[in-house]
Amino acid sequence: MKTHRPGHARLVPALAAAHLRHDWILTLCLVIALTAVIAPLLVLLGLKHGTIETLRERLVEDPVYRELRPTQTQPYSEDWFAQVAAWPGVAFLTPTILPLSSVVQVVRADETTSLFDLIPTAAGDPFLLENGAPVPGEDEVVLTAEAARLSGVAVGDRLRVRVSRTRGGRSENVQVELKVVGVLPIGAGTLTRLYAPLAFVLDVESYKEGYAAARRGWPGDTPDPYPSFDGVVLLLDEPLSPIVRTGAIIQTGFARIGEITRDQAETLLGLPIPQRLHAYDLSTPNTPVTQSNIRAIQTKLRGREPLLLPYVRDLELIGADGRPWRPAGLSVDAEQAARLDLPPVPWGGFQARRERAEELTSVLWPVDAESNADADTRQEADDSLAVTSAGRAELSFMLHPQGPSPLSEPLVPIELLGILRTAQDRAVTYVASSGRFEMQRAGYRGFRLYAASLEDVPRLYRRLREQGLEVDAAIEAIERIQVLDGGATRLFWLIALLGLCGGTAVLVASLYAAVDRLRAELGIIRLLGLSRAHVAFFPIVEGLMIAALSLAVSFGAYAALAAVINRSFANELAPDERFCALPASLIAPIVLTTLLLACLAALVAAWRSTNIDPSEVVRAD
Amino acid sequence: MKMGDGQAAMVRMESIVKRRGQADGGFELRVPELRVDTGEVVALIGESGCGKSTLLDLIALILAPTSARRFTLHLAGKSAGQDLAALWARGDEGALAALRRETLGYIPQTGGLLSFLSVRENIRLPCRIKGVSLADRELETLAKRLGVAECLDRKPHALSIGQRQRVAILRAIAHGPRLLLADEPTAALDKPRARAVLADMNALARQQHLAVVVVTHDLDLLAEHVDRVYTFDLERLSESETRSTCRALDDAKRVIA
Repeated sequence: MKTHRPGHARLVPALAAAHLRHDWILTLCLVIALTAVIAPLLVLLGLKHGTIETLRERLVEDPVYRELRPTQTQPYSEDWFAQVAAWPGVAFLTPTILPLSSVVQVVRADETTSLFDLIPTAAGDPFLLENGAPVPGEDEVVLTAEAARLSGVAVGDRLRVRVSRTRGGRSENVQVELKVVGVLPIGAGTLTRLYAPLAFVLDVESYKEGYAAARRGWPGDTPDPYPSFDGVVLLLDEPLSPIVRTGAIIQTGFARIGEITRDQAETLLGLPIPQRLHAYDLSTPNTPVTQSNIRAIQTKLRGREPLLLPYVRDLELIGADGRPWRPAGLSVDAEQAARLDLPPVPWGGFQARRERAEELTSVLWPVDAESNADADTRQEADDSLAVTSAGRAELSFMLHPQGPSPLSEPLVPIELLGILRTAQDRAVTYVASSGRFEMQRAGYRGFRLYAASLEDVPRLYRRLREQGLEVDAAIEAIERIQVLDGGATRLFWLIALLGLCGGTAVLVASLYAAVDRLRAELGIIRLLGLSRAHVAFFPIVEGLMIAALSLAVSFGAYAALAAVINRSFANELAPDERFCALPASLIAPIVLTTLLLACLAALVAAWRSTNIDPSEVVRAD
Repeated sequence: MKMGDGQAAMVRMESIVKRRGQADGGFELRVPELRVDTGEVVALIGESGCGKSTLLDLIALILAPTSARRFTLHLAGKSAGQDLAALWARGDEGALAALRRETLGYIPQTGGLLSFLSVRENIRLPCRIKGVSLADRELETLAKRLGVAECLDRKPHALSIGQRQRVAILRAIAHGPRLLLADEPTAALDKPRARAVLADMNALARQQHLAVVVVTHDLDLLAEHVDRVYTFDLERLSESETRSTCRALDDAKRVIA
């Protein structure tokens, strides 16, 4: 026997709908009661979601929260930048220099000046771009709001920037005009900063360190290290009278001149001195002797055939085998060599700067030392000697043997020893590719790094710390939002739980009462041939219908209220931000949960309806 | 249209007992034998509390017998009868509900119309439950015959008691049942009106070859139509125990006369 006709699936809902329509006042009351529960929950959920999302998006939108800042200055190599820039999640990376080297003076129209920080930038800098400023090009600059205010310039104006340094006790400066192409909003920070291309920042740094920036025509030293000496031994055929001797050093930069014995001279120079020569020691306590001093004394003694041999005291080289050795230094032309009873040296006379780099690293190796371990080292090193020299920074470089030494010690150009002496005061590097020594730049001492997204920040933060770098990032702000989100979610669920309990109770009671009032009629429906199961379906369908109606009204009420809320907070919100927003992904779960609860609430009434006995109710009046 | 005794009975009850109340006391209805033949009008008469309505509800398949030796429903045109006793014993709620909607029409004492449906929808309801269609014209013709054509689109509460009973009759037969059950359909009406309603009911039943079981205490209203009459003998067994035994009234016509 067919007990479930297809028609019954529609018949019971149709009857339930007819009943709800007939009892429309009761239905309206139920819908209002449920809406009173659901609509505030929707608004609450929308507020929670909207505010958290707004906060989150503000973090996302403000590049500051995606920045990872080094908290210590330390050197970073070019390689490091190349490597880190390739990390996933890195949106932007540019080197920065020492903070002190990046301070410039801004000259106002009235010639007063202020000190501004110069920050390097490059194409794609999210801090500038996301704050609505272009990335400055050559001779262009972007200012922070405070910097623009202090300097009294606006976009399109020209900004006079003065870079000053102290060199040789004198104050020097250069001035450059930069075009202001952008001013950051106040929200982007209150510091007085100029953003300029890295190349300009490096030029400023070079100049401040005393070097020239040839590209800009700024004067200064070259990066070639200059040789410096502890003193000069003056050798003369004829002794100097005490008066001449005293006059000789005036205005040469030397403070002392003293006659020394041949032995003393040999110790200072590491050379044998012919007996016919008279030796004098020229020096200045605590001040290195440079080429200009030597040139000055040379001029003073013109006509006396002076032989000026600079010396460097206490300089040791460490061979590849770890053994120290003390080379002698001598750069003389053939004539001078003859006067010293020595064969000519391949590198010739003294030159402060040599065009051929390898001349500087030449060495004449003592013949009688061939048998010792150094020879093996030399052989293995393909006729080159790897040596290191302690200094401000340890220097490792190659020496190129040019022949046998006329001495018992290795002989090198004196300029090499001079440079190694300079390297004890100033950082000097050996560039293996060119074979040249260079004054070491201050170099990159920091970086500006922006993550691609907020989620990348913690990962990059950990990765940088794994490298032993102390970095600072808005991890806390990001976590604060997460904590706030968690708290708001818990609060919401508590309120939602309360509301849902109330709403469910309303439905349970109402549907139960409805079934009770409809006992007779449900009994008749049974009598007319519907089974218990069909009749049990009746309150469930009614519950679902009431829930569906309430949901529709609630979403309408929510939409209206959300619009009011968003409008009333419009001043505090960006055009795309909303204070109250329900994500579309939550709508289906809300609807399903409500309908499910309505079903559960109707179950009690459904159970009640199955207990109706038609024979009891058909006669009840 | 009187059917011969050779015809198979439509409803057959043998040794059916229905107890109500506790086992140590209450009411017990005994039906040693009862039959309703196709097209026959059967009246159940007796004083209040004799169990006429209980018997009607047993036949209407909305009340389970406590015990039954035989309880069958045999429909003309179908070879096999339904063993109702077995369905009740199995508790086959679905099959019983299906039998109710397929073969039975029931006119409750007070009409039993659904308050939230219009008269038209009330009349259509059994058809929808049964899954048959009822043309509007047919419905209106029937309504006209019963004098309720003008109230088809009203809700039941807007109808007089007499109109409600007529609508109830209409609803009970609209879906083409084989057995019409009426529980004092005219109790709430005055005599002339009751007579008219019963005459209409009988005319429709005859026309559609329905068997009719009607509970009444006014046999004289029905006298001219009744084929068979059952009455009840009430015994007081104890302070709390009452037993009612159903018995056929052989000389029904004479009794009525």
